[in-house]
Amino acid sequence: MLLSPLLAWVVPEYLLYIGNVLMMDAMLALGLDVLLGWSGQFAFAHIAFFGIGIYGTALLDMRAGVPFLLGMPLSALLAAAIGFVIALAAIRLRDVYLALATFAFALSMQWLIRTWDSLTGGPDGLRIAAPALFGIVVGTDRRAFVPMAMLLASMLAAMLHLTRSVLGRSLAAIRDSEHAAAASGIDVRRSKIAAFTISAFCAGVAGGSYTLFGSFIHPDDLGIWQLVQVLTMIVVGGSGSIGGVLLGVGLIGVLPELLRLAPAQWLVWQELAYGLILMLTVMFLPLGLRSVLRRNLRTTVPPRTRRGTPTMEHTAP
Amino acid sequence: MLMLKLLQAAASGVVTGCIYAMIALSVVIIYKATEIVNFAGGELVMVGAWLGLLLVGYFGLPRPVMLLAVPVVLFVLGAAFDRLALGRIARRRPSRRLEHATLVVATIGLSNLLKGAVRGIPYTQEVRRLPPLIGGAPIFVGDVVLERQDLAIVALAAVVMLALWAFFRYTLPGKALRATSQNARAAALVGIPVAGMRMSVWGLAASLSGLAGVMLAPKLLLTPDMGDVVTLAFAAAIIGGFTSLPGCVVGGAILGIMQNLVGTFIAPQAIAVTPFFVIMLVLLLRPQGLFGDTVGVRRV
Amino acid sequence: MTALFSIRDLGMRFGGLLALDRFAMDVAPGSIHALIGPNGAGKSTVFNCVSRFCTPFAGDIVFDGRSLLAEPPHRIVRLGIARTFQNVELLDRMTVLENVLVGLTSHVPRYIDFLPGARRIAAERHAVRQAEETLDALGLLDWRHATAGTLDFGRQKVLDLARALASRPRLLLLDEPAAGLRNREIHQLDRLLVDLARQRGITIILVEHVMQLVMSVADRVTVLNFGHRITEGPPEAVRGHPAVVEAYLGRDAHA
Repeated sequence: MLLSPLLAWVVPEYLLYIGNVLMMDAMLALGLDVLLGWSGQFAFAHIAFFGIGIYGTALLDMRAGVPFLLGMPLSALLAAAIGFVIALAAIRLRDVYLALATFAFALSMQWLIRTWDSLTGGPDGLRIAAPALFGIVVGTDRRAFVPMAMLLASMLAAMLHLTRSVLGRSLAAIRDSEHAAAASGIDVRRSKIAAFTISAFCAGVAGGSYTLFGSFIHPDDLGIWQLVQVLTMIVVGGSGSIGGVLLGVGLIGVLPELLRLAPAQWLVWQELAYGLILMLTVMFLPLGLRSVLRRNLRTTVPPRTRRGTPTMEHTAP
Repeated sequence: MLMLKLLQAAASGVVTGCIYAMIALSVVIIYKATEIVNFAGGELVMVGAWLGLLLVGYFGLPRPVMLLAVPVVLFVLGAAFDRLALGRIARRRPSRRLEHATLVVATIGLSNLLKGAVRGIPYTQEVRRLPPLIGGAPIFVGDVVLERQDLAIVALAAVVMLALWAFFRYTLPGKALRATSQNARAAALVGIPVAGMRMSVWGLAASLSGLAGVMLAPKLLLTPDMGDVVTLAFAAAIIGGFTSLPGCVVGGAILGIMQNLVGTFIAPQAIAVTPFFVIMLVLLLRPQGLFGDTVGVRRV
Repeated sequence: MTALFSIRDLGMRFGGLLALDRFAMDVAPGSIHALIGPNGAGKSTVFNCVSRFCTPFAGDIVFDGRSLLAEPPHRIVRLGIARTFQNVELLDRMTVLENVLVGLTSHVPRYIDFLPGARRIAAERHAVRQAEETLDALGLLDWRHATAGTLDFGRQKVLDLARALASRPRLLLLDEPAAGLRNREIHQLDRLLVDLARQRGITIILVEHVMQLVMSVADRVTVLNFGHRITEGPPEAVRGHPAVVEAYLGRDAHA
């Protein structure tokens, strides 16, 4: 992170573009993982919250003159508020219904953006005006790089804080066993709603960050397919851990760029490749690539003994 | 005039509703047996439609042969997916809750795999349409126009659904399947091969989707994205309660009619969003649907 | 004798199956009360009703003068009731220490969620210390950084118990703690249960199939079959009851 200002002036613009995209993907994926990896719920609404972040930030700036530093948090809060309402309704139902309700929500949001053309530009897409930060117009990949790095760094810090909080532990517990969690005094409903809201907020921030370097957005970019790409990153890297998610973003996030270098006729196979990667990973590496790396780093039994107490077999106190 | 429009919309609605109902049945029998929502359900429809077109349009096979071949091929595809991917995931369980999310992710993977595979085949790069199953002049009932092909679709769907009902009701394998979906452990205890049953459910569901695809193909343009139709099946299934087979059929009909009415009386653009609103409204107001039991509401 | 915990005429139905039929029991404070009966008799259903995972259609469950049926599941442990699970419900992907910290949830002040300051760190340290004390008492301290899912079965059971004990319950519900344990481990469990009841004054309800354990530790035994209470009394009395011999002990007692 400290290197980022330096990198921003030395590295070619195209690589900075990839860097920005990866950082945005990372924020998007970290947010989705709060839901999927920590609390074990599956929801499709993430891509809609991402869209709310993008359109909200861009339109507030362009139509109402609200600066990025105010507009982006506002849009993220709007995403979080909508997420809260959806979670409130869906959480009392079984997991299936959460998936289905959010699936319907994501698609209707896409429909809304496409149909409400007086506001969003509809099927023509929306040209995003470059926002200004402290009076400096950003808009290029070079200028956006440092603010992006700062955004990602703050989100990472917040996530690390969350993993160590009672809420983070509660979510992990719910993921592993809802019964044990409830019997230990964890309010399952409330924790899940919190996870959903936080996840939506992250997606909103990721969306807002796109306006820093992106110049165009189209409703087609906010479909289920885009969600599948984020999902692939999480699953491949290893859900439920910040390191795993970042690993997945690094590996999968560069795929579209690599494919761009490949002959044009290969592009047709992109979807197939994602499907195959996704399926093979869940089949053979249910905990993601992270688990392979960790297997060599950390052995769990026999345990580390911090105070050097010898291992004794005693069950009674 | 209004009455005629209403009747015409209802008639077309029943036809599309029949197709939705079949896809919904496919999704629901998988859900009942395995508690997985099959997000690849639409892609199985799409593969069925393309396969039908390929057999008839490219290889020039007669239609009855195609109507038999498509379900068979899809049965194998569905069963293979369960055996190779899902069975493998279900056997190793890192954690019970994670497993469920993982299985859903696997169906999403399958969805992209199938879509990508079809997109990659050169024959599919041109938008095509399956020639009508049956030609001939439309039939008039009063002033309502009925296409012969639509009648064929309704008839075929009715036959398939009746056969499915009879299969579950009266045959031994059908009863075994029902037992397995109600209580897998008890079924295993009385000697029903549960893993084989799950495979058959996936195969059966895939065949149903494939047939629905063949029925849908003459009415729609074929594209690799036509699997999006699964949203309509989800909506139909949710109206019916997601665990009820008759519910799917009624849900499909309601949805088909509703879409046609919305298109005729509100706005054509609103057709696309109808199923999403239906899903969200039903889940909000009556999550158990019209026919489902109360299992929709969670215990913890 | 006033009961700390009583179940009154509980009725519970799953679909058409009557799982509990006007089931009643009273548990005296500080006692070990065993609940026995064949598989499917409804023992775990009783626990699940107490945990509020199931809602009975009739009857009441009263703990310390307060009805539990008005409480949501996560409030039960706050009232002082902790439980273990029949097939061990561990948080498999979390470490042993984290499992116990989860058990401490009801004792961790909520503000540490939001304030990243000294108070939060102090509260967390305090919680970790308490968790380590619990682990130490049960002989699991050396495994505190191991992933719970990698422990052997015996230790997983102990960890399940540690998670429940961390909440410092007044009433502990144990669902087949001896199932799958070796003889020596059962002896250790025996001593542990007696110790928990006598030294720490924890009231225990024990669902168990291992009769050797039940006969040795229980102060009172309730026998359940087909959702009915067949009989109740001290272990010696219950052992000889003809209905019990026939319904339940028949195979085990003479095995």
